[in-house]
Amino acid sequence: MLAYLVLAGLTNSAIYALVGIGIVLIFKATGTINFAQGDVLMVAGYVAYMLHVALHLSYPVAVLGALAAGFAIGMLSERLAFRPLKSADTISLVLATVGLSFILKGFGRLIWGGLGDYLSFPSLVTDTPIMMGDIIIIPQQLVVIGGATLVIACFAVFFKFTPLGRMMQATADNRRAALLVGIRVDRVHLMAFAVGGALAGAAAVLMAPITLLYPDIGFPLFIKGFAAAVFGGLNSLPGTLLGAVAIGLIESLAGGYLGSGFLDVSAFLVIMAVLLVRPRGLLGSAALRRA
Amino acid sequence: MKRLHLPGPASCGAAVLVLFAVLPLVANPYFLFIGNQLCIYVILSVGLNLLVGYAGQLAFAQAALFGIGAYAAGLAQVRLGLPLIVAIPGGLVVATVIGLAMALPALRLSGHYLALATLAFAQFTNWVFQHWDSVTFGGGGFRVPPPPRPAFLSAGLQSYYIAFVCAALVTLAASRLVCSRIGRAMIAVRDGEVAAESLGVHLLGTKSIAFGLSAACAGIAGGLQTLMLGFVSPESFDLTQMVLQQAMIVVGGLGSIAGSVIGAAVLMGLQEGLRAFQSAQEIAFGGLLLGVVVLAPGGIAGFMARRAAGWREQYLWGRKPPLPANPAP
Repeated sequence: MLAYLVLAGLTNSAIYALVGIGIVLIFKATGTINFAQGDVLMVAGYVAYMLHVALHLSYPVAVLGALAAGFAIGMLSERLAFRPLKSADTISLVLATVGLSFILKGFGRLIWGGLGDYLSFPSLVTDTPIMMGDIIIIPQQLVVIGGATLVIACFAVFFKFTPLGRMMQATADNRRAALLVGIRVDRVHLMAFAVGGALAGAAAVLMAPITLLYPDIGFPLFIKGFAAAVFGGLNSLPGTLLGAVAIGLIESLAGGYLGSGFLDVSAFLVIMAVLLVRPRGLLGSAALRRA
Repeated sequence: MKRLHLPGPASCGAAVLVLFAVLPLVANPYFLFIGNQLCIYVILSVGLNLLVGYAGQLAFAQAALFGIGAYAAGLAQVRLGLPLIVAIPGGLVVATVIGLAMALPALRLSGHYLALATLAFAQFTNWVFQHWDSVTFGGGGFRVPPPPRPAFLSAGLQSYYIAFVCAALVTLAASRLVCSRIGRAMIAVRDGEVAAESLGVHLLGTKSIAFGLSAACAGIAGGLQTLMLGFVSPESFDLTQMVLQQAMIVVGGLGSIAGSVIGAAVLMGLQEGLRAFQSAQEIAFGGLLLGVVVLAPGGIAGFMARRAAGWREQYLWGRKPPLPANPAP
């Protein structure tokens, strides 16, 4: 029981981590939260579904398609909901991305909602559970955890070692100084939204076989990714990972031991508690409280 | 561009009041329902604008507090057998108390953190509506039998006139409030917390008042919604309802009472026109929210203030109006 719950929890953690890292990346580079992050994931998931299930293309093509879709929608988000508002206040920025989130959700429902309420996406590996002693393992769970780890590792390398990643770090540290040394900050903003979108696209393909696809899937994932990000301080990538693991595990254990109704609500209670006790998160720096 | 010459918001408001007072005499039941729902939306929108547009606190709990008002008023009638005259104010009190209880810790937060905390609160509230079966009747919702009424009024008319009187009072009170010391303190907090404090504005007090007032509006609107529909269910108070309300104040104009009323009417019209098409509703609400924030900050009220010479938001006693919200340069 415990092992099963931990594994299921970690699987969700992997998805929350991917969403949360996208949110933190965008927040670090631009100072705003993309409330449409979950809906980018939803659309990317449907794109992968179209490629893989409807057009019978191979799995890697579907993965690339989802990454590309996430990347493109991320760029579009920056153009529509961030660039025109660069000098606006937080309220305008947040409401703009909330609006964008609903536009994406509406289009998702319009285009794909008619195909069926919950679309199933085939697993990469067999659906037959593996028994290890008395532990039941669903292979796709391992794919999700392994896949997410791989994506996060790639992202860490990108962020630490590539020129673009280092430009993002520089912009996050000090926008004005970055501008002074010749970094095209506008381009960095655009790429942050795009890479954030691609991370959501990766999450979509990994997660779709387990959760199925439906138009309303975006918001719950966004709010949990956001919670993971806040848990870790909103500006710390390792902190976000930690937050995602914590939220996934708490959810799963609460759902298992307190009753399945508590699965969803425990995450919200944790968020409220964290914001109450330590608004800057576990690993965050103090300066961000009023962001 | 040529400036339009139009009567000001006060005269327009008076005209709307008269129109709404006599409307039921000619309206069919559908339009009566629309008018009733619009009155409720006006209360919600005015309340939310006080919090977001005037005090600058981006909270997402208004739909949840609306639900708390509706559940409290409905359950007071069904479970406790209280009369309507107690149930609706009861809903107001419960929503205000819970709103303040939520706001007190939230007062330490601002910006994105406040948005997340209030979103989590809203999700938690909706979960309680759905899962606390022994009190809330769970996900299926519950019926509230129509309250007794005087013989000369139909149930629809009674509900309409109660909502109409409440909406008129809330709007008048709010337009008076925003010109008062409290309203100006809220605007000062929005435009700069440190500056406001240095001018002697009590930061926490002012924020609490804004949270309390918006929760009170949500609470009374909830009671009126219960009265109108005779039915309460969790999904009426979900994220879509929240975005609908945010779109109302953004389209009408953040920091404008007249705008709150106009925005409520515009979004109400859209919601009814697209009732059969959920995806079109979402695209329309989201599109308006994004489009107005990007292309026309200030909304309809901001547009009127720039383009129409006679349009000054000048309310009772002719005091100078506060400036509409402007995105900081």
